[in-house]
This record gives sequence, C-alpha cells and structure tokens, in this order.
Amino acid sequence: MTRADVIIVGGGIMGCSIAYHLARRGMRRVVVLERSHIASGATGRCGAGVRMQWGTKPNCLVMKESIRILEGLEQELSYPHGIGFKQKGYLFLAHSKAQLIQFQKNVQLQNSLGIPSEIVSPKDMKRIAPLLDTTGVVGGSYCSKDGHCDPFHTTRAYALAATRLGATLLQYTELQSVTKSAEGTFKLTTSAGEIEAPVLVNAAGAWSGYVASMLGVNLPVYSERHQILVTEQVERVLDPMIISLHEGLYCQQTPDGSFIMGLGDPNEPKGLDQGHSWQFLFAVSKKISRLLPDITGVRILRQWSGLYNMSPDRQAVLGAVDDVPGLYVACGFSGHGFMMAPAVSESMADIILGNTPRVAIDVYGLDRFKNGNLFYEPAVV
Amino acid sequence: MFRTELAVVGAGPAGLSAALAASECGVDTLIVDNGSTPGGQLVKQTHKFFGSKAEHAGTRGIHIARLLAGELQRSPQVEYWSESTALGYYEDQVLLVEREGRAHAVHCDALVVATGAAERHMVFPGNDLPGVYGAGAVQTLMNVHGVKPGERVLIVGAGNIGLIVSYQLLQAGVRVAAVVEASRYIGGYAVHASKLRRLSVPILTSHTVKEAHGHEQVERATVWQIDETFTGVPGTEIEFEVDVICLAVGLSPVTDLLCQIGCKMKYVPELGGYVPIRNENMQTTRSEVFVAGDASGVEEGSSAMLTGRLAGYAAAAYLGKCPDFQNKRAECQRALDALRAGPSGQKVRAGLSVVVSMEAGTC
Ligand SMILES: Cc1cc2nc3c(=O)[nH]c(=O)nc-3n(C[C@H](O)[C@H](O)[C@H](O)COP(=O)(O)OP(=O)(O)OC[C@H]3O[C@@H](n4cnc5c(N)ncnc54)[C@H](O)[C@@H]3O)c2cc1C
Ligand SMILES: Cc1cc2nc3c(=O)[nH]c(=O)nc-3n(C[C@H](O)[C@H](O)[C@H](O)COP(=O)(O)OP(=O)(O)OC[C@H]3O[C@@H](n4cnc5c(N)ncnc54)[C@H](O)[C@@H]3O)c2cc1C
Repeated sequence: MTRADVIIVGGGIMGCSIAYHLARRGMRRVVVLERSHIASGATGRCGAGVRMQWGTKPNCLVMKESIRILEGLEQELSYPHGIGFKQKGYLFLAHSKAQLIQFQKNVQLQNSLGIPSEIVSPKDMKRIAPLLDTTGVVGGSYCSKDGHCDPFHTTRAYALAATRLGATLLQYTELQSVTKSAEGTFKLTTSAGEIEAPVLVNAAGAWSGYVASMLGVNLPVYSERHQILVTEQVERVLDPMIISLHEGLYCQQTPDGSFIMGLGDPNEPKGLDQGHSWQFLFAVSKKISRLLPDITGVRILRQWSGLYNMSPDRQAVLGAVDDVPGLYVACGFSGHGFMMAPAVSESMADIILGNTPRVAIDVYGLDRFKNGNLFYEPAVV
Repeated sequence: MFRTELAVVGAGPAGLSAALAASECGVDTLIVDNGSTPGGQLVKQTHKFFGSKAEHAGTRGIHIARLLAGELQRSPQVEYWSESTALGYYEDQVLLVEREGRAHAVHCDALVVATGAAERHMVFPGNDLPGVYGAGAVQTLMNVHGVKPGERVLIVGAGNIGLIVSYQLLQAGVRVAAVVEASRYIGGYAVHASKLRRLSVPILTSHTVKEAHGHEQVERATVWQIDETFTGVPGTEIEFEVDVICLAVGLSPVTDLLCQIGCKMKYVPELGGYVPIRNENMQTTRSEVFVAGDASGVEEGSSAMLTGRLAGYAAAAYLGKCPDFQNKRAECQRALDALRAGPSGQKVRAGLSVVVSMEAGTC
C-alpha cells in the first residue's frame, strides 16, 4: 500500500489548484487522483467566464481576489504558454425595471468592496458591444475587469506547477472505494491499487456527492446538466461576455474568434447525464440571433454538455467535514467554480494546514445547512 | 419536423443501394448527401469498374451512379435531398440536416450511415503548398469539372487508385513524372501497372516523397529511397520538376457521425481506421443504426453496393417490413463472400473477423 500525506480526489481546476497550494506550503506527499485526464469534468467543458459582479459579499470578495491572482498567474506558475486571460468585461442585461433595481443593489455592494463595476444605459451598452440589439433592454451592469480564461491551460498550469513542487498526479486512476481505519487513516482502493493518507480532499465536482457517500457522508448537493456550444472562428467583433438573466443566456467571443454560448435551462435533467440535444441548438440560435443579429449565419462547430454541482443556496460548499476528521470538501460550485478556484484553493490549503486563510471562506462551510445560515446568490445563470 | 421511416446518410453506391433495398420493402426513405449529384465516389470514376459482374463491374463508375440514381427516381417511396449535410443524430432519433443554410430536424425510426471514406494525407515539409492534392481531388477536378490540375504530376502510391488516376491524367494530356510507392511491391492490379509502363512512366517502389519545394505553389519534389524500416536513405534523393503532387495513399472510413451517435468503435488497420462494431446485418451497437459501404471499412464499389443492400434490408426487417429477410440476407452474404474470397480479400476478412460481433444489436 502506498502512503501519502494528502489525497485529492478529482483533477479539475479545484483538485489541481489545491494540490499546488498544498505543495507550495511544503506538504510533501500530495497525490491527485483523476479518473480520466485533467480538466475532463466540468472544468474542460465550462464557459470559463470570470467575474467580480456578484450579489453577495463573500462571492464578491473571493472573486476580487481570484481576478487579482489570475492577473499574475502565468508568472506565479511559470507557465510560458499563457492561460489566455482576457479582461474585456462582463455585461449583464436587464430586461425589466425590477432586474435593474437588483443590479443597482449588486453594483452598490460591489463598489463598496472596491470592485469597479457600474450601471450602464442601453446607449453605453451599444458603445461597449456595438453588435448588441438593445431592444427591450432597460439597462445593465458592466465591469471592465471581468473576463475569460482558458480552462485547459489554467488547469494544466496548476497541475504542472504542483508536480514540479513534488505532487503526484495520477491520471486515469479512479477512486473506487474508501474506508477510514480506527487510527484515522483513509484507505482508498483505486483502479491502480491501494493508497492511504490521513487527509482526504473531495474535489470530485459533479461526483462529489457519490464520493462522500463512500464514507457515509450525505452532502446536500446534486448535479444537473448544462449545454454549451462553440462556433467557427470569425473576425473579433464582441469584447465583453454578455449575460441575459432574462433569457438565461450567456455568450462571449474567445481570443481565437469563436463564440461560446450556453443556456440556463430549468428543464435540463438532474443527475450525471452528459448528453446533448438538438433542441438546445435551436433554442440558443433563436435567442442569440435576437441579441446579436449580426452573428446569425455563423456556423456552429461543436456542442457538448457538462455538469453543475448544485447546492441549495447556489453557493459553494467548502471546508472540513466535521463528522469525519481529516475529510475536506470543495464542491457545490453551482456553475461558477472555475472562476473561484484561484482564491478558494489557496484558502482550502490554509484550512487543511491549520493556517488562517487570507480570504475567509467559513461562510461556505457545511454547518450552514445545519444552522440555517443559507445565503442565496441572486446573480447566477 | 420532417418524419421518415428510414433516413440514409450518403448517396454513394452503399447509400443508394440501401435506399433501394429498403424502398423495395415498402419503407419510406429519405436519403441525404452533401454532394450536388448522387453517386459519391462513383461520379468521378470514368473508368470501367473492376469487381463483381452482378454489381456492374465492366461499367464505368459514372454510369453505375446514373443507373442507381435512375432507379431511385422511379421509386415513389424515396425522397432525395442533395447538398444536404447530416450534422448529428440524437437520443430522440432526430437527425439534424443542414440544407440551404438551415438546420432541419428529421425524425427517423431507423438510420443507415453510408458516409464513405476520406483520403489520407502525408506528413512532409511543404505538404501544405498549393499543388499538393489527394487523388480524389485530382479526379474531381478532371472528371467532374473538366479542369486540368497542372502540367506535370508526381503520383504517390501505386495502389489501384494511384495507377488509375495516373492513367486518367495521361489521357487528359497531363505528364506523369513518376509513381512512387513506399512498399516493395505495386499494390494495384498488374493490368493497370503495365499500361503505365508501356507509356514509359517509371514506378519507383521502396521510394517516398521527402519534401515539396516552391514559393507560391509546388515547383519541385524530392523523392528518396526508404529501407525496410521505412526510413529515408540519405544520398538516394531524386528531384522531379513537377507542379502537382498527387497523394493516393489510402482512405480512412468517415465515421464522425457514428462516433457522435455513441456507436461502439474499434480501430482496425485492415479496414482503414476506426469502424463501428456491428453484427452480420450491419447493425451497430445502437439498435436502430446501421452502417454500410466504406464507412464500415474501406473495400470497393461492389462490396459497398452489397453491404448497402444488406443494411437496407436489415433496416426494413428491423422496422418489421421485410418478411423474406433471411433469404435476402443470405443472397447478399453469398455475393459478399465470393467478392472477399481468395488472397486479395484476405486483409478485409482479417479486419471483419474482429469487428463483426454479436455485441451489436440483434434484429
Ligand atoms: C456548461 C458549463 C458552463 C460553465 N461556465 C462557467 C463559467 O463561465 N465560469 C465558471 O467559473 N464556472 C463555470 N462552470 C462551472 C465550472 O465548470 C465548475 O464549477 C468547475 O469547473 C468545477 O471544478 P471542479 O474541479 O470542482 O470539478 P470538475 O472539473 O468536474 O473536476 C472533478 C473531477 O473529478 C473526477 N472524478 C470524479 N469522481 C472520481 C473518482 N471516483 N475517482 C477519480 N476521479 C474522479 C472527474 O473525472 C473530474 O475530472 C460551468 C460549468 C458548465 C457545465
Ligand atoms: C480513384 C478510385 C477508383 C476506384 N475504382 C474502383 C473500381 O474500379 N471498382 C470498385 O469496385 N471500386 C472502386 N473504387 C472504390 C469505390 O469508389 C468506393 O469503394 C465506393 O464509392 C464506396 O462507396 P460508399 O457509398 O461507401 O461511399 P462514397 O462513394 O464515398 O459515398 C459517400 C457519400 O456520402 C456523402 N457524405 C459523407 N458524409 C456526409 C454527411 N455527413 N452528410 C451528407 N452526406 C455525407 C459523401 O459526400 C458521399 O457522396 C475506386 C475509388 C477511387 C477513389
């Protein structure tokens, strides 16, 4: 049996970035188990937007720090290829007075925390995104420092930096079962043999509920499918990520010129199905040709889906699992975990090592479900 | 939404034969093809076909295409969409088809995928220069559009396709500098090779392209000898002044659609690459999806027609519309066995032995 100091289940953005921060803080035998290849889960399938425009204070603070980290991440991780971080803003569209009032509240909160967001008029929006059809749009909010980042390269940058610091990344290795011995050691059976460690981190994304259940822990999370598509590459015509909560639609143009867009559809199946439908293509096409009529006719290249791991208040579930000493979770990101990883992974590493994290994440703890301290995030697609 | 009992993707010999067989059983069939005229590869084959007599050997490919398309036109049960591309097939049995710039949802009870094969490319410096063509592209230019691809051509590959295209180039008044072949033997039929030799075209076995040179387009090609490990031998370089390099180095089944559907695939070098696992009735691991022709493994025109017919009958049987299926099946299988018999069929037989499996559905 191989021994490690910590085993992280899941080689998505969370698992890889937590491994990096643990190794950087001097933890010696850090092992990441990934069933497939890194970023094969939600991370490699996501829209990869990053933004500070949130409706709750903890999310604003985490994201302010994440974006600060992303600005210097290529250097921090010595990743010469680059992580494709582009700061061309996020533009939220309000289709009703009530929505605009909510945006105003959000912007007030954001500004009070030093986030440079602003309320914009339809006229301003035309300036920020000239192709946007603002019919029916009463206003919006905008933050020029929000943006987008390549999820594959970001994950790979963390994974390479972690392995350079001595961490071990076991790809194509699946956790099959785990027990906890009387002495408090986690004994894992994987597709590549047995391994044990005193600390276990559950960063298994959509599968985190299942992994927790192996230890008899019932996490209050579930998974649901979200579909997304990418078009052919065309001339660059759209700077910001466009989000319409009214349509449940987001759309952005990546630096290589392709558009990535997706829908928040309440009728998507719950569970672990990662299939896709033609209806999605028709629904998105219809909506996007209303918002950006000029891109009608751009060809769709590919469609796919990924899983959101949802929590009851659509907020992440982070920290120690009190009932099982040595067990930690980082899941329940409810569709915005990619952007939170830079800050959250650092805080997770500090919590695991008993340090006080720079960015507090205790509000995201599991105990909120026991004592009823849920805090709903209004600004999600 | 458009509804049909059977949808067939690809109107090459396989797809056309599948549609004809199914419609003969009274199955409403829609056939879609991204080309402008039905026939697939056949429309550019101006030579008389080899293969089995029953499958029109001795007739020129282009005439076989017309024959099959004519039969199709007479069948009231078949609808044909040209210039229509199948984009994907979904859980709810909907085939998404792009036609006239719009996506159309087509619901079908069964599907035959007969998407044919695509030409392989080769890696060498300068392979992206204008003037480097696949053999199929050269044929399309000459035989479909009447355009000469260039003045002097180097052919890479001495299989039947390379030899036939060389001869067709000569007929069109284009000079063929040489045919180079990596293997020690000429893969194509001796009749075709001798024709070329009589016209004093050298066929260099154990040779390959090393590099293509040119500024705006191909101006010159360097060829060199290769040893038993297919490594180039320095000092054996030969230069050819050519403006076209024509690659006839094999075909790979076009199976994107089958992969997207989620059919179980297997890599079978003898059949040209990834092919779907299927049972003896051409039924894949997704029970309503059948495969036919080069998409099921690269063979040739006669077997494409036969596997197409077999898939068409099997799809009809799956839909409960082919009471005489066992006899029809046996008939197709007999003809296929005859075609694949002997030493020339050995490779295909070896390939089929690992990919025809009862793992696939039973109809
Ligand atoms: C369509 C879509 C769009 C999105 N858009 C955005 C966006 O714009 N911005 C944003 O911030 N977020 C977005 N998200 C959310 C984001 O993708 C996720 O929150 C984030 O990637 C979660 O990272 P993770 O590492 O926790 O999970 P994952 O990336 O899912 O990683 C978990 C890993 O665990 C592995 N695993 C599971 N079980 C086992 C086991 N038993 N043994 C070994 N390995 C196992 C899996 O293979 C997987 O690779 C989007 C998600 C989707 C689906
Ligand atoms: C130079 C040359 C000479 C040959 N000579 C002979 C010979 O003498 N005798 C012989 O027996 N065979 C010969 N063959 C082989 C024969 O032409 C092929 O084996 C046969 O055409 C394969 O038939 P098929 O129907 O499977 O595919 P194809 O003929 O390739 O037809 C496939 C069709 O599907 C269409 N398609 C593909 N994907 C899609 C999609 N997503 N949506 C819509 N349509 C799609 C394609 O455009 C094409 O029209 C020759 C081939 C070549 C290239």
